[in-house]
Amino acid sequence: MDTIGYQGLIGVSLAMSLWLISAGLTIIFGVLGVINFAHGSLFMVGAYMAYTFYGLLGFPFGLSVLLSLAVAAVLGLIMERGFLRHLYHLDHAYQLLLTFGFVLVLDDAVKIIWGGVFKIPPIPRFLDGAWPVFGRPFPVYNTFLIAIGILVGIGLWALFEKTWWGRVVRATASDREMANAIGVNVPWVFSTVFVVGAMLAALGGALGTPIRVAAPGIGAAMIIQAFIITVIGGLGSLKGAFTGSLIVGILSAYGTLFFPIFELFFSFVIMTVVLLVRPQGLFAHVN
Amino acid sequence: MRTWISSATVMLILLALIVPPASVGQTACQLNVPTLKLGVQGIASGAHADYGRQINMGATLAIEEINAAGGILGCKLEMRFMDDENKPATGVKNARFLVNEWGAHFLYGTDSSGIAMALGPVLQELKRIQFFTHAATHRLTEELVYDKKIKEIVRVSAPVYQDAIAAWVFKDNPEIKRWATIGADYEYGYATWAIFKDVMKKSRPDAEFVGAAWAPFLTLDFSSQIAAVMATNPDAIIATPWAGEAVTLLRQALLMGVFDKVQAWFQAMGGSVDVLEGISREVQDNRFKGKLWATARYIHNWPNTQINRSFVERFQKRWSRLPNYSAETTYSAIYITKLALEKAKSLDTDSVLAALNGMRIPTPAGLRVYRSEDHQFVYNVPAGRVVWDAKYPIPVLGDLVVIPANEYWRSPPFTAVPVGK
Repeated sequence: MDTIGYQGLIGVSLAMSLWLISAGLTIIFGVLGVINFAHGSLFMVGAYMAYTFYGLLGFPFGLSVLLSLAVAAVLGLIMERGFLRHLYHLDHAYQLLLTFGFVLVLDDAVKIIWGGVFKIPPIPRFLDGAWPVFGRPFPVYNTFLIAIGILVGIGLWALFEKTWWGRVVRATASDREMANAIGVNVPWVFSTVFVVGAMLAALGGALGTPIRVAAPGIGAAMIIQAFIITVIGGLGSLKGAFTGSLIVGILSAYGTLFFPIFELFFSFVIMTVVLLVRPQGLFAHVN
Repeated sequence: MRTWISSATVMLILLALIVPPASVGQTACQLNVPTLKLGVQGIASGAHADYGRQINMGATLAIEEINAAGGILGCKLEMRFMDDENKPATGVKNARFLVNEWGAHFLYGTDSSGIAMALGPVLQELKRIQFFTHAATHRLTEELVYDKKIKEIVRVSAPVYQDAIAAWVFKDNPEIKRWATIGADYEYGYATWAIFKDVMKKSRPDAEFVGAAWAPFLTLDFSSQIAAVMATNPDAIIATPWAGEAVTLLRQALLMGVFDKVQAWFQAMGGSVDVLEGISREVQDNRFKGKLWATARYIHNWPNTQINRSFVERFQKRWSRLPNYSAETTYSAIYITKLALEKAKSLDTDSVLAALNGMRIPTPAGLRVYRSEDHQFVYNVPAGRVVWDAKYPIPVLGDLVVIPANEYWRSPPFTAVPVGK
């Protein structure tokens, strides 16, 4: 029983790191209608920036994470205002191509700036160590991830449900022509939403720095899982992304424990079943 | 007009005197090619990028040295390096480009077993020998060379037998009985676990294989794999993720208190320079409690020979870095080519392969002996405990266990080892 409880908790921490990246992906799709292939690259940029501020320049870890988010925000703004904005009136295929182009550019930029070899900073002291859970040492780091994931969930809920900006965003997502007609500055809404999405991706990357290596291409691993999660939960649904992350994270952890041979298939099987039974995803509405 | 012509004539005569013909001062290439072209590939991006980089550095150093000494049979060497991106399709595409478009006479490198297995049959079609300098699956030489007779495959680096040396290192430790693996979820990880179990069962019938968890390429979070194998209460773990993934795995294992529970952790390719660099702080702080063991396909601090010391010194001088195994194996592969060509005096594949027969060549890693049945160079590499030694800028393998390769490497005739999860 302890084993099942412990593995489940590991699954929750895995889910929370998946949640951070899938939340940004689904927000951007929900409001802008853009499937952002470059979301994984923003995750990678977050990891490299945190490594640079924390590992190279010696800033405190928390400040390094915040600075990484700031860099991702600027990058997101440039991507949306400088490029994506000009393609909204065109077919989705053009946006896909553009965001794929961002992937290639950012991957190469990272190689040029930091080199092709992986980077890894020291583990911040406050995240080192473990505490006993179900009779086994559970890392402080994983506990921290769970806490951050829940806080981000609450924060996003509050942002979209309780603030003026959230109401404007929801109105725009629901009917952008109508929002425009009643005086909402739609381009500004799009920019801010893209920036929030970019910051969430970077947060996922930056928070992983203490244990994971920063290397070109690390975003590719995350983006595949994030897409699976958003398909399961429903593209554009934050609740769906959170639930999808929990499903994928926990089942992946149990799959590793009980069915190590098939573990990799689990996420894809769930996605396939959801697509067959409820193609719009668990929480998305069909327009 | 006459003045102009006579001036031009004088200039031509002067030029002829100043600039010697191509054949003077350098020997003409006896292999009848303008330059000898060596196509090299490896992983040059992502968490495993240091291996391709080291392949490139090792090849470059060998080529610079050989060219400075006059080349091979008077032929200058030229190299083209390509990133295989750790993808079989890219590896195959690169090989085709290097041979068909660029005109490579020999191929080198390849880090991943998966790419090597895809590339092997293509070499037959390209009619070029590839000296494999990292890819480790035993199937490359046992299946593709020994069984299927693909003669264009030659391996200079130690195969997966080396990763299974753990079975020999710990066979006399009766307290270590329950083994688990955190394996790379592809060919290399399966092969290591299969051969390890095969060897261990023979020397320690009481050994139990209690758990296995598999991690695909690009795994960023190993906590579920670690938790799953720790649930089986293993005495020791053998782990095969490598490069940056090995560093991530070891750091997460530390955070999960694994080194308080297990008696040994064998990180198969943990003796690699990039991994040792990545865990420097933790080794210095003795976080692994002396329980972390590893091997590699060459380690810079063994053997203590003049040729190795000199290689390490020249490598460090050239690249400001310690050589990893993929650098040494590629460096040695190019010197093996040199020796073979000087004997064969031809670029013909059969002639070069005939020249390899019986070859015993001193290399930085020690004496390499060519095994013609499976085109595998055999040499010894020790395993050891990961320790901090103030003589070096990064941790090294200490308490070395040296076992003659002939004792623990599989040898022909080969009996199949079932490989899978």
